Amino acid sequence: MTRAFLSGMWLHVVQFSRNPFDLSGVFVWPILYASIAYYLLDAKNDPKLLLSASLGAAVMLMWSLVVIGSSNALENQRWLGTLELLVAAPVPFAVVIAPICVASGVVGGYGIAATLLWGRLLYGVPLTIAHPFAFAVAVPACMLAIGMLGLVMASTFVLYRAAFSLGIALQYPVWIATGLLVPLSTLPAFVHQIGWFLGPYWGFRAIRAATLGSAPWQYIGMCVVVSAGYLVVGAACLRAFVHVARARGSLKLT
Amino acid sequence: MAAIEVSDLCRTYRTHVGIVRRRRTDVRALDGISFEVEQGELFGLLGPNGAGKTTTIKILTTLLLPTSGSVRVLGFDPAREAGEVRRRVGHVFGGDRGLYDRLSALDNLRYFADLYRVPVREKRARIEYLLELVGLKGRERQRVETYSRGMRQRLHIARGLLHDPEVLFLDEPTIGLDPVGAREVRETIAGLRDQGKTILLTTHYMYEADELCQRLAVISGGRFAAAGTPAELKARVVDRTIIEIESFGALDGVLDRLRALPGVISVSTEQREQAEVILVQSGVGSELTHSLLRELDGIALGKVIAREPTLEDAYVELVQTA
Repeated sequence: MTRAFLSGMWLHVVQFSRNPFDLSGVFVWPILYASIAYYLLDAKNDPKLLLSASLGAAVMLMWSLVVIGSSNALENQRWLGTLELLVAAPVPFAVVIAPICVASGVVGGYGIAATLLWGRLLYGVPLTIAHPFAFAVAVPACMLAIGMLGLVMASTFVLYRAAFSLGIALQYPVWIATGLLVPLSTLPAFVHQIGWFLGPYWGFRAIRAATLGSAPWQYIGMCVVVSAGYLVVGAACLRAFVHVARARGSLKLT
Repeated sequence: MAAIEVSDLCRTYRTHVGIVRRRRTDVRALDGISFEVEQGELFGLLGPNGAGKTTTIKILTTLLLPTSGSVRVLGFDPAREAGEVRRRVGHVFGGDRGLYDRLSALDNLRYFADLYRVPVREKRARIEYLLELVGLKGRERQRVETYSRGMRQRLHIARGLLHDPEVLFLDEPTIGLDPVGAREVRETIAGLRDQGKTILLTTHYMYEADELCQRLAVISGGRFAAAGTPAELKARVVDRTIIEIESFGALDGVLDRLRALPGVISVSTEQREQAEVILVQSGVGSELTHSLLRELDGIALGKVIAREPTLEDAYVELVQTA
């Protein structure tokens, strides 16, 4: 199953990298997100706040790439005509879909690097990382946590094609609920509690803590915990929804 | 034990119409079909569009659950023991989709080999063997988007054989292929049959079924119409003569007059290039040509041929009377 997972991740990253349209988006978006970070908080005189905002914008980009990637995951397979072949494979369906979501997270990892780099080049955002080792662990932990949340979302798309639009719309509430767009202290307390259940919340804090010099490991640990939770929920949902789709006959090729 | 056992299989699709007043409609795709496929046999499933061929294959390959009836593949129930069935069967469908176009054939095969649990040590040799088998050796590093339809179809077959399945399901594998591509695919299928692979093939093309299949079943409207060897099915119409008349004009109302002629058993039409060909089945010895031409007076006609019946004539007869 590990081989199927890794092979799937590689295949989907390569498949993504060979689409000029997707690639141009990944090139342009980081510039937009770096600009948001610079202008939104107007923190030109506070390098630490500027870097924090820049990291938030980078994780926003990663979430957007994952949510679009996982929303598209099943629809793309339907369009390519591969969905039934993937369902009919002897490995659990979660092992087929999870790599697609994590592959989007990997592309999102590039998004983080590119956003920080553009921030540095265009706006002089400082790029000092306090704990380089913890940062190197925090980024993949964030990718995993966000990718696995994508898996839970992708599972619903087995049954409902229109769920794709819902997935796209989920970009914005998650930005807000996880404190990526505006500080959580400005929002009602219940929003903070919603954030605890969301991968980007812990991923962002892990990366920010590793960069700015506070304690990152508890957040990295939470990334692993929520990822495991998402995997269990996502795999169970996929199994149940595929069964319903087999009963309804909704796994069509077109 | 038969490789595939289908008994009284039914499948109903439920659809809903309307927004405010939702009305439920049940469409019966399969209505109690039964057949068996022996180990090492190439069995053909024939029928017009919407007959239920693909639904049958989807149930056998675990993609659909039956509404009622019993199905066994190599002794396993595809509904309850999907994992056991998936490990042992391969599924190939027609058309040029079902592959990752931006990747090479080799990348596609490597990925599906991992999904279908081909052992690492065997993977490379297995892929090499299959590329050779389907005639894609030397082209495997090209992106699939540059392949012709025939090459894609052969790649589909290679993909379906990666895990060396005991049973192979081929769902209209030559659909949309040019004659040369279709012949190459048929040769590949014949090679698999000669190796002793159990194959269930669905097709619209009678000459394909006649050339490849050891036994056939005809289904129409989700119901079973007939089964037997190609020779047995042809024998159902052996006491008949087929008269083919090429016509180049409107046939409104004329066909009913032809059907009413004494000695005529059935009348059907098919399009061949510019002409609409009228196919009239009659008993051997009936001299109908003059009566038919009299009824067709005023319509531009081409060649008129009397010939012995083929499997296609038997098929048309079975489907029309089902």
